[in-house]
Amino acid sequence: MTVNLAKVNLAKSLGSIKLAVPLLVAIATILIGATFYEAEVGSAVVQQEIYKSPWFGGLMFLLAVNLGTSTLLRYPWKGARKIGFAITHWGLVVIIAGSAAVIHLSVEGMMLARTDAGPVSTLRVDGDLVEVAAPGQPSEQASLFIKADGTVVPSQVGGLSLLGYSDNAISTVRFATGGKIENPAVRLVLKSDRMGQSLERWLAAAPAAYDTIDIGPAELQLVKAQTADELVAALTPPAESPVAKQHGEVTISWLGQSRTIDIDQDLGKSLELNAQGQTLSVQTVGFWPDFRLDGNRQPVSATDSLRNPAVQLMVTNGKSSESWFVFGNPGFESIRNSTEGDPIAPLFDVDYEIITNPAPTAFFRLIVDQKGALHYAAKSSKGFKSGAIAIGDSVVPGWADFEVTLADYIPFATVEREIVPLPQRSLAGSPTAGEPALLVSVGEAGKPVWIPWGRPTAIDSEAGDWFVAFSPKLLQLPFSLKLNDFIVERNEGSESVAMWTSEVSLIGPNESDSDLDSYTVSDRSVWMNHPTWFRGWKIAQASWNPGDLSQSTLQIKREPWWVTGLTWLGSAMVTAGVATMFYGRAVAKKLTKQFKGVTDLLETPEAEDAAAASMPHSIPLFNALLGR
Amino acid sequence: MTASSQQKVKSQDPLAHQLDDSQNETISMIKLIKFAIGLTLGLLLIALPFSQFQPSPLNPLETIVVQQGGRKKPLDTVAQETVAKIHGATVYRHDGIVEDSMTAFMSLWLNNRDWNQAPFVLFSYRPLKEKVGLDPDQKYFSFQTLMTNQALGDVVREAHKKDLEGADLSRNEREAITIEDRLTLMLGSVDDNAIAIVPHPTDVKGKWMGISEESLYSAEAIAPLLSNFTAMKQRFLAQPDSLSGLSTLAAQLTSDLRTLSPVVYPVVGVMDKEVFFNHFHPFASAWKLYGIAFIVMLATVWIKPVELYWSAIGLFVGGVIVQSYGFLLRMQIADRPPVTNMYESVIWVGFGIAAIALIFELIYRAKYYLLAAAPLAVICLILADSLPAVLDPSISPLVPVLRDNFWLSIHVPTIALSYASFALALGIGHVALGSYLFTPSAKARIHLLSQLNYRVLQVGVLLLTAGIILGGIWAHFSWGRFWGWDPKETWALIALLCYLVPLHGRLVGWIGNFGISVASVAAFNAVLMAWYGVNFVLGTGLHSYGFGTGGSEWMIASVIGLDMLFVLAATARYKGWLNKLSISAGETTASANS
Repeated sequence: MTVNLAKVNLAKSLGSIKLAVPLLVAIATILIGATFYEAEVGSAVVQQEIYKSPWFGGLMFLLAVNLGTSTLLRYPWKGARKIGFAITHWGLVVIIAGSAAVIHLSVEGMMLARTDAGPVSTLRVDGDLVEVAAPGQPSEQASLFIKADGTVVPSQVGGLSLLGYSDNAISTVRFATGGKIENPAVRLVLKSDRMGQSLERWLAAAPAAYDTIDIGPAELQLVKAQTADELVAALTPPAESPVAKQHGEVTISWLGQSRTIDIDQDLGKSLELNAQGQTLSVQTVGFWPDFRLDGNRQPVSATDSLRNPAVQLMVTNGKSSESWFVFGNPGFESIRNSTEGDPIAPLFDVDYEIITNPAPTAFFRLIVDQKGALHYAAKSSKGFKSGAIAIGDSVVPGWADFEVTLADYIPFATVEREIVPLPQRSLAGSPTAGEPALLVSVGEAGKPVWIPWGRPTAIDSEAGDWFVAFSPKLLQLPFSLKLNDFIVERNEGSESVAMWTSEVSLIGPNESDSDLDSYTVSDRSVWMNHPTWFRGWKIAQASWNPGDLSQSTLQIKREPWWVTGLTWLGSAMVTAGVATMFYGRAVAKKLTKQFKGVTDLLETPEAEDAAAASMPHSIPLFNALLGR
Repeated sequence: MTASSQQKVKSQDPLAHQLDDSQNETISMIKLIKFAIGLTLGLLLIALPFSQFQPSPLNPLETIVVQQGGRKKPLDTVAQETVAKIHGATVYRHDGIVEDSMTAFMSLWLNNRDWNQAPFVLFSYRPLKEKVGLDPDQKYFSFQTLMTNQALGDVVREAHKKDLEGADLSRNEREAITIEDRLTLMLGSVDDNAIAIVPHPTDVKGKWMGISEESLYSAEAIAPLLSNFTAMKQRFLAQPDSLSGLSTLAAQLTSDLRTLSPVVYPVVGVMDKEVFFNHFHPFASAWKLYGIAFIVMLATVWIKPVELYWSAIGLFVGGVIVQSYGFLLRMQIADRPPVTNMYESVIWVGFGIAAIALIFELIYRAKYYLLAAAPLAVICLILADSLPAVLDPSISPLVPVLRDNFWLSIHVPTIALSYASFALALGIGHVALGSYLFTPSAKARIHLLSQLNYRVLQVGVLLLTAGIILGGIWAHFSWGRFWGWDPKETWALIALLCYLVPLHGRLVGWIGNFGISVASVAAFNAVLMAWYGVNFVLGTGLHSYGFGTGGSEWMIASVIGLDMLFVLAATARYKGWLNKLSISAGETTASANS
């Protein structure tokens, strides 16, 4: 009995208005502070530290309990005021529940789509991910939150300390003596007085990636000349080559005819070949600089570099249609798919030519001859020069006021890799130079190591190797999106934007088809305030790039339908409840008898409110709940 | 006792009931007549000066269509906006004459006098004037003075440099850029091609041209137009003081332009509506009516023999009608729902205060609704009319996020109406606190006032709740989430909480009538913050399309400060602190208190 009484008392205080008022005051105060804090530190931090924090969630939970209990305590709800009161307060509980569900159950992210690229099906979700595998342990994953000052939250993942973050780190290598095989490495120092900075770079014959380095204005190269002819060739100015087509050319040969399509210019266009009374129509449908298939077997480009350029063609002869993927890499066979009718005969030939690493217009080349002596060749817009070079010698190649000095030469070099954060923008000013990196250490005493973004890295320790991966949070969508067109509408006679619209095709595998071999394609328009829905995902226009009108950023979101339903139900309840609470009685009165103006005012609503505030004597519903 | 409660007493007597019928009819008749007199008088007052308007020789030019800022507008609007932007007012007073915006703009456009030396450019920020060595007491400067001021040029360059680097600008630098904008606009206006008046030949949304720019038309088609324009210009240059012969030339120019591209050129009458709107000044007329209604009502309350309650209501209704009409015109001209920027929100809140007060006044006949509402509506409308730099009245196209959405077009007006209710509560709160301060013995009135206040707060809470929720629904479509703790959202919620706390506190008995009065005044600061402060004080968040340059923060802060002092004084009087002070000062009176 005393226990029950205590329970009742607890319920009374939890549901009391005397708790509600301080709670509301507290919430209002916190929110005021939060908005001013946000003006200082930005919204990401405030979202993380306040609005999405467990303690704020707890406060909201307490509010929901208070609202819910107070409503129960006032049962039975007789009269418009009480009914309105109950609907409003439970409506608020429903909204709070809905909001909590949104935080935990919804997925959203941004997708960057381009008109000149293939379909995209990966979504960049807010935040970064770190995956850690200690020696002999299963791997552990954690989401990272990086504050504006570079602090990382959480500070520990699976025994690894996360010490800091830089958004502008580069991976560097150093070469040391002591290699067992011949591997020449040189250290070059580049100086520019005009830019007031100097820069140091290692070049080496091996690993392969280090024989050339692009520093922006020019390329640095290291060449090992095995024969005298090779030495001569390396020291000769290169022949001027015509400007290469950036995305290459596709040549179609058929029945003795051949036509060439310039991918830069003619992507999306079609051309026709006529021979022997037949017509073959070829359309270039898509281009991917770094082709691969994603989880839905949709073509995507992994990067923007020309690592594996591919072009998709649609070929039709009126009766049959085929889809072809042709690759810039001569070692890769074309992929041919019949989409309609029999295979096209007679067969045609497709050749895709693309220069993936065009010769640089400016370079500084160091050549090691058979005897191990060093030579240089330098080319710039001002001319070509070459000669012998020794440690300490400087050459002015002619790009800006750069001076290149050979600082070190190691004939038998071994490689030592390291990631270092840059203090500021690099000398070359190349925006792609830096990338995010995470500073970690193994245990408390370990040496701090920078982990590059997007590349799994091993760290040695006494117990064995740790594997750490620091990567963007990506989500594989069950469909892919192709941006067909991005339309920017301007206000008449001006440059100001009236509206921007993304014309997209949404391509999803047919769910009934177990092999996921057939697809449904749905064309949609998405513009501001007018999202589209596809298989439970909402696709909305988010932003655009004024400097590049072939690009559009879309927001993609999924939220279980019942979560949306909860918020909308709660909203309707609150609005209807408040209206009923305030005006239900007056309206009811109006319907039954004459309304009497000021006198009516003076007799209301104090007495009733006071009664509502005082605790009811019997609480039947609660008694029932408590098992009495 | 009020009139209606006396009626109640009477009507309880069944015998008196029948006898009163004819008498009641007469009373209603008198009320109706008083109301009609108030209303007609008010509307006449507005209409009269308009009919006396002197037709100017420039009138036919007013409706020439100009494509500017992403829409087509009459030359009259261009003239008003340009003069207001450079001069800070729509009339230019110089050498003892008052020039309207049309005359000043035509003179500037066709350059018929020495504008280099004319003290036309508004420069009001004193610290910057002192810094660059200009007379801080002078308000207007000539183009030449400002252009040749080396120190000002340095500040502008520094500001642009900082802007490029993404650094925050100081107040001096922001003001310097404003001055630079004014000078650029002025320089740009002195050119035949400063405004695009030649319509695109085919495309309704195509870019229009200046009159002597390389034309989209054949030389033959454009020649009469050009010669007409040249003749007009000659006329301006030759006889700047007597423009009477211009009417025919101007009318000819207007019709020539129309015949060039009849499909693209807006139909006759569209521009007339906007020119009428410009000249009518509906919002300025409305506040005058509210002001008169306030005075009449005050007389009715204070001077016993004056019974003009219904005339005051009539005048007030006149104000509401004029303001609604103005708002409707503006919506038609801009072709979009109301309340899309700060200026429109201030006008809308002014309207909301008047409309809500009118409804309550008609229900309760309490006089105080009108008395509290009228000054507030007047303040809103005067503010909107006199601060073109902060509250820009020009109609310009909407940013994409605000376009084409049903939920948005009801969310913002609903929120703004809730602000209007809270503003009305603020007004009634002031009347109540004033009563506590000056006539604490009038218990009945104070009690009535707090009841009236409570009713308005209810409306505010309902509208704000509904408005926040409608905003959530819009955000769901536009930003993909119902609630995201954006500062504007958060502050709307804070404002709601600031009203919910006292309303709930009242239920427990922690605060009473006095507390409600104080709360309705104090909590309005949260509304101000949500409405104005988030944009100008915090300056962050997704609602940034509502942002503008701030300014006058100190003025606002001091007004709020003074108001809070008033609340404090009323509280001191109510709680008897002053008595206690005097008691502790003079021990001898202590016994009197107990």
